[in-house]
Amino acid sequence: MEIQQFIENFAAQFDETDASEFTISTRFKELQEWSSLIALSIIMMVNEEYDIGIGAKEIVGSDTIGDLYTIVATKTTL
Amino acid sequence: MLAGKNVMVTGASSGIGREIALVLSKQNANLFISGRNEERLKQVFEKLTCRDKSNYIVCDLTNEEEVKSKIKLLPTLDGVVFCAGVNEFVPFKFISKEKLENIFNVNYFSVILLLQKLLKNKLINKGASLVFISSISAQLGVPATAIYAASKAAINSTVKVLASELAPQKIRANAICPGIVKTPMIGNANIDVSQFLEQEKNYPLGLGMPVDIANAVVFHLSDESRWLTGNILMLDGGFTLQ
Repeated sequence: MEIQQFIENFAAQFDETDASEFTISTRFKELQEWSSLIALSIIMMVNEEYDIGIGAKEIVGSDTIGDLYTIVATKTTL
Repeated sequence: MLAGKNVMVTGASSGIGREIALVLSKQNANLFISGRNEERLKQVFEKLTCRDKSNYIVCDLTNEEEVKSKIKLLPTLDGVVFCAGVNEFVPFKFISKEKLENIFNVNYFSVILLLQKLLKNKLINKGASLVFISSISAQLGVPATAIYAASKAAINSTVKVLASELAPQKIRANAICPGIVKTPMIGNANIDVSQFLEQEKNYPLGLGMPVDIANAVVFHLSDESRWLTGNILMLDGGFTLQ
């Protein structure tokens, strides 16, 4: 699983935030555009792109994009 | 209030359906409860009072062949409560044919096809009451509920048509649209439970409990509501007032 691709997929769920804002250490819940609908879109994206089921718990438990990447990557290799 | 009435409740193994079964049982109805999870359904059945005249039917209502064979276990019914349902929050951009089919199969197609078979096989008595557990989502615009809301809106439309088609036999059809009710479905949904609970401030009478829905069902099934048909009841603790 490629981190850069993950960040791009993550960023694609946002419409207003500039792509340059998204890095491994971005604290995504602090972004102005962050909303519960985007949270849901991230869950759906992970399911579609990586065939991994995550829920609100994983979003709540992640502060940075890197945190969520680690969770998804761990599940991918299981 | 319901003594001697034969009532079927679908989706009775958990949440609102479970509570409906328990409350109807206290009103001495003979119950025919269905659900997919045998263990949980049995647990509900064990709590019913009129067990000698009641039964539980393990059935996947989305499987038409199974429904065809399982309805043979039913007596003629004085009431049916359609409570089986699923919810998944899906942002519009992520809607797929598979998700549409999953939600509509459970929330709409299986409901209609079960009732069609009950009617065709003359298993619904004259004067019976059909109660559909719908949702206020059908009338709102909550983000990510397009499929769920549409499936419940489809139920609401069907209720009106059924009410006029079945009126000659004095069979009544009504829908109850609950607002947010504290059930396991909240925890199973793919969004944070706290988002539901935060909604409490928008409910003048607070969030609903399963018994609030069950009590309304008792009235709908009883002869006291004999003049009520084709109605869509908003049961939401005042949420839609605002």
